[in-house]
Amino acid sequence: MTDLSLVGFVGLSSALFAIGLFGILTRRNFILVLIAIEIAMNAAILNFVYFGAFSHGTAGLSGQAVAVVLIGFAATEVAVGLAIVLALNRLKGTINVAQANELKL
Amino acid sequence: MMSLEQIAFLVLAAVALITAVGALLVRELVHTILWIAVFFLDVSAIYFLLDAPFLGVLQLGVYAGAVTVLLLFGVMLTRKRIFSREAVTGIDAVPLALALVTFVFVVTVVGELPQSAGTITSYDPSLLSETLFGTFGPWLLLLGLLMMGAVAGSIFLVREGREP
Repeated sequence: MTDLSLVGFVGLSSALFAIGLFGILTRRNFILVLIAIEIAMNAAILNFVYFGAFSHGTAGLSGQAVAVVLIGFAATEVAVGLAIVLALNRLKGTINVAQANELKL
Repeated sequence: MMSLEQIAFLVLAAVALITAVGALLVRELVHTILWIAVFFLDVSAIYFLLDAPFLGVLQLGVYAGAVTVLLLFGVMLTRKRIFSREAVTGIDAVPLALALVTFVFVVTVVGELPQSAGTITSYDPSLLSETLFGTFGPWLLLLGLLMMGAVAGSIFLVREGREP
């Protein structure tokens, strides 16, 4: 139906994952780290949809179903991450991950 | 001669890469969130290109809608002036090398994939609901339990009256 090939899609998502990994390792602001995790997670979720869409039979449906569940997981993870950001901000007055050496209640 | 789908894919891929890099390099945190909102919209467009309209709409609602607003709340609640700039953190060599090694490793694996153009199978969304609530029913229940635990944990973390 289309002229697209799987290679371009997987190259795109691996580049996005590398960008996300770089962000996780270098950024100091907790919110930026969360955003970098989201970029890497989106790249991973896209992989399920590509490989499902380019295979035969009902594999595409399974790929899309896994992607739905993973989007839910990722949204949950952002909510908990934001709660940790707010708790850290109240405890330390900063959201720099380098200074988050204790989070005891 | 490139087909319309190929041009659309190239444009969407370029926008995804540029917005992802821009979100991590721009200096004002609010601008970062605007860049990441464009990134989420772009990923949603890729889902529509892959004939997965339900996922595209879900990406719009959950990521471009909810996650972006949550991140904006995070910025608003943790600083007095939301337009204050980030301290510039330089591009360190070791993380950059690690990210490049990961990318090269995955791309060498990509070389094993079939290079020719494939066909994208499109499905009726009602078939997706049968799969989602049939085969993947336990996963959905697990997701519901996880979300309930996450809400309880988040409320415990940010509740009033707990002083350091």
